[in-house]
Amino acid sequence: MSAINNNCQYISKKQVKITFDGKTYQAYEGDTIASALLRNNIRLVGRSFKYHRPRGIYTCGIEEPNALVQIISEHNEPNTRATIKRVYDGMEIASQNRWPSLKYDFGAINNILSPIFSAGFYYKTFMGPKGFWKNLYEPLIRHSAGLGKPPKNFRSKSTHQYHNNDVVIIGAGLSGLAAAKKFINTKYKVLLIEQDSYLGGVLKNSNKVKTINGLTPQEWISETEELILNSKNITVLKNTLVTTYNFTNHLIALEDKFAGKKIDLNKSELTLHKIRTSNTIIANGHIERFISFRNNDLPGVMLASSFEKYIHRYGVVPEKEPIIFTNNSSSLSLLKKLISLGCKPKAYVDSRKKDNIETEIKKILRDSDISFFTDAEIEGCDGNKKVETITIRQGKSFTKLKSSMLCVSGGYNPDIHLFTQSKGLVKWDKNILSFKPDTPFQKTITLGSTSGNYSFKKLCDEINEKLSIFKTKKVSLDINLNVPNKFSIKELWETKKKNNSNWAKSFIDLHNDVTTKDLKQAITEGFDRIEHLKRYTTNSMGTDQGKISSINSLAIVSKMLKKEISEVGTTTYRPPYAPLSFAAIAGRSTYEFYDPERKTSIHSWHLKNNAVFEDVGQWKRPWYFKASENETMHQAVQRESKMLRENAGILDGSTLGKIEIKGRDALEFMNLMYTNAFTKMKPMTSRYAMMLGEDGMIKDDGIICKISDQHFIATTTSSGAPKVLADMEEYLQTEWPHLQVYLNSITEQFSTFNISGPKTREIMMKVFPDIDFSNDAFPFMTFKNFDYKETKIRIMRASFTGELGYEIYIPPKIGLELWEEIFSCGKEYNLIPYGTETMHLLRAEKGYIVIGQETDGTVTPIDLNYNWMIGKNKKDFIGKRSLSRPDTSREDRKQLVGISPINKKDIIEEGQHIVELNELPKKITNPIKYLGHVSSGYHSPNLNHSIGLAMIRGGKNLLGQKFFVTATGKTKNIPVEIVNPVFIDPENKRLTS
Amino acid sequence: MILIKCPYCGERDQSEFENGGEAHVIRPKNPESLSDKDWGEYVFYRNNPKGIFYERWVHSHGCKKWFNAVRNTSTDQILKVYKVNEKRPDLSEFQNTLKSPSGEPSVGSGNFAVKK
Repeated sequence: MSAINNNCQYISKKQVKITFDGKTYQAYEGDTIASALLRNNIRLVGRSFKYHRPRGIYTCGIEEPNALVQIISEHNEPNTRATIKRVYDGMEIASQNRWPSLKYDFGAINNILSPIFSAGFYYKTFMGPKGFWKNLYEPLIRHSAGLGKPPKNFRSKSTHQYHNNDVVIIGAGLSGLAAAKKFINTKYKVLLIEQDSYLGGVLKNSNKVKTINGLTPQEWISETEELILNSKNITVLKNTLVTTYNFTNHLIALEDKFAGKKIDLNKSELTLHKIRTSNTIIANGHIERFISFRNNDLPGVMLASSFEKYIHRYGVVPEKEPIIFTNNSSSLSLLKKLISLGCKPKAYVDSRKKDNIETEIKKILRDSDISFFTDAEIEGCDGNKKVETITIRQGKSFTKLKSSMLCVSGGYNPDIHLFTQSKGLVKWDKNILSFKPDTPFQKTITLGSTSGNYSFKKLCDEINEKLSIFKTKKVSLDINLNVPNKFSIKELWETKKKNNSNWAKSFIDLHNDVTTKDLKQAITEGFDRIEHLKRYTTNSMGTDQGKISSINSLAIVSKMLKKEISEVGTTTYRPPYAPLSFAAIAGRSTYEFYDPERKTSIHSWHLKNNAVFEDVGQWKRPWYFKASENETMHQAVQRESKMLRENAGILDGSTLGKIEIKGRDALEFMNLMYTNAFTKMKPMTSRYAMMLGEDGMIKDDGIICKISDQHFIATTTSSGAPKVLADMEEYLQTEWPHLQVYLNSITEQFSTFNISGPKTREIMMKVFPDIDFSNDAFPFMTFKNFDYKETKIRIMRASFTGELGYEIYIPPKIGLELWEEIFSCGKEYNLIPYGTETMHLLRAEKGYIVIGQETDGTVTPIDLNYNWMIGKNKKDFIGKRSLSRPDTSREDRKQLVGISPINKKDIIEEGQHIVELNELPKKITNPIKYLGHVSSGYHSPNLNHSIGLAMIRGGKNLLGQKFFVTATGKTKNIPVEIVNPVFIDPENKRLTS
Repeated sequence: MILIKCPYCGERDQSEFENGGEAHVIRPKNPESLSDKDWGEYVFYRNNPKGIFYERWVHSHGCKKWFNAVRNTSTDQILKVYKVNEKRPDLSEFQNTLKSPSGEPSVGSGNFAVKK
């Protein structure tokens, strides 16, 4: 048993070195990993998914179910198909799913235990006890099952490219090239996509075609390729696989820019092509299928056409004396090639009756004196980690032959994957025993073997007829063949086993280790619909998607159910055609490019002053400022909160959304959008306002500044700004197009500072000496515009902390300058910067709510006791009618209250439940009555105990009552009292001081 | 990813748009005069047919304009787009369009790939 080299033009003479599992091997430039291993007589390349059975190379292309390897030299890239990945000098490869080594794999014990690992084993076995799944079963199963190990780091490695075309041709084999020829120098913009690095497809994989238009296939390919490349309207993409066919002729294809080359980390190694086209021509050929027999997974079993492809495409004959097992006429070309190379197959086993077998095959076998079995089949094969003996059944007699390789052909399936993704309908064809495309749903044309046409002679007419919708010249193809033009096949999906042993396995899905017995068992257990059966057995659910076996399983199932195969139907083909990495999809949208970061004009100052940041939407906001290296968040927030209530603090509020509303009908519009009444509001005053959904639930809040009846400025929450603007636009365009109102987002036009605390007025007077900040001249909830350093600023008297406060709006260009000015003036008053966490604590002390914390889309203003905000006299506003719906006016809705621990040392945690029990039972058998939850919980440094805001059923009527709050990891609950949610300054003295 | 023809900008990729649900659901002029049931229907109830559907779209990553479209939810084909102030096209206009990709039943998801 040894491989021999064959002359091959696609493989260069240049030798390269690769390592597989630590051992170094010689290969040639142009080899795939699989062809290189076969050249070095390596047959065993991996272990199977479930039973850890030894597995080899089964195919020579994208359909490979077994030979998946890990590329160590490419950041540990797992599950790479050895049959398509090209080698380069220094490539390091490792086998997968084995421990400690490929030869001696501990997991192979699963194979001995296999009779219990049948379909549905995991579902039935690992049911309990509770907690065992997470802590024992799952880690164990994950260790022993699965394929390659994930790469350690994610890396960005692809770019995206967009195309708009008139015609896309998928596949540059004989049909694809002939179709492309029709478009040479025409007005159509054409994209020709080939997954291999050479054009030609079947022409370079076999010697089935002798001549085309009097030229050898290679001459014809070269001539055609040159014509295509010189034609300005056709673009060719090689090493590119079309993975997805979406609605409206949208295709996705992945190009490997480094096929056969060492990756350059400075360049993108993949390009994801996103293609829009008017017409799609699918000419991606066919895939050979296998036959199930005992041990049809042993290393050494290979598809016949793949064996042939290794000879022609890669110049390696994996074995000189294989046995050929077929049920159709296509294996003749392999037989002829082997004999022409001086190799002599050990035997030719054909399941067809002698009379149906082509005379040419019979003559060659007779002339070369090769054992010939007609009306026969392979019963099975045996051997230790490789094929050693093969048992042939002919009638009642069995013949055992020695050979190390078995070439199998179970017929061909048109590659309908992309066609069905496009929602085209397929039909069963009795002549080829497979599904073929029937009715396209989009502008899709299938050509050649993809369309079920296995006759080379008919191809020319097919192309001219199907492409007659395009105004182009006819092509002529005069094809001479080395094989019979007529395809003949006999139905055979599974051969009969000699003995019915529990350990004998005929596989139907090599990737996921599904046997034909599993299919039978699933049907017995009632999973007789093909989609159920697929999921129960995991048949055709591997990364190969059952490319060589799914039709076989449909056929076997239809026989068991005694139904026509078209009645059983196919499972749904979904994208992608073959696995593609997340990195390919992500493209450049990774790390800092994934989502933009928005920074305020003060950001550099925050960085210098040890701010710790919090993400709010896309914004980076200071969370808290570290006064020293070792200060914890809790310490910082307690310090900031206390300092602010004693002196003054300043917050960078630039992230708050700001929307300008202008126009003739601005007042009417604002009255409709917000709950508040704006009509009687005086110009240059502001108001805290709420926006509801049509269901009456709070959506957003903010301060509305009224400049005039025709001009308002609304602030929104930092993350709610885009949605509020979009909602306003929607109503203006769709419900009230008669209103003359214009909206503009001005969030980025202003830096906003919120300065508050008892010493604020002194600081403001020092910064702006010309402005009168007295209570009479500048009362609470008013605003004014001032000239400041050749620009204008707006100052508003407002506060979110409950202390005396001002908000300054200034163009961002000079924002930082003013911010620093405020600090230099505020130094003597111990002004501190504070972050969002302190802001949250301070507003909770004051009983102010935060959208998304107290509210969750099920809270109305009435639930918050904010009835004063509702313009009851207004005829209408968004959500008004819903506030009187029976459900929204229920008395026992969850309502906002404050909670205070009875034992002042207890800590109230956010998100905990409020219950009536002082202690939870050790084992909970009946549901515990639930009253509500803690929506905000903080330690108040100003009151020196924990406080909380809570949403409790019927809370408004529970003031003064005692309940309990649950605590993490404890059954003992914390006793609390229901109090007014305003803990500090309920009379608003500080606010209006 | 389907293509949508914005009546203001022309044909663009679906990713530039947002869907706004059923079209021609008009906000009642006098909400207070509606019964709880009628108001509830307006707020919460929408059609979800398999087949021809009149729906709203907004070109949110483009001109930000709202418009209406007639889409077959079974084939995902957009049969017509029209501006919000234009008349709702009659259902009979779409009688001769394809009902479903695979001729499956009028109810259900119907992942059928095999021609019956």
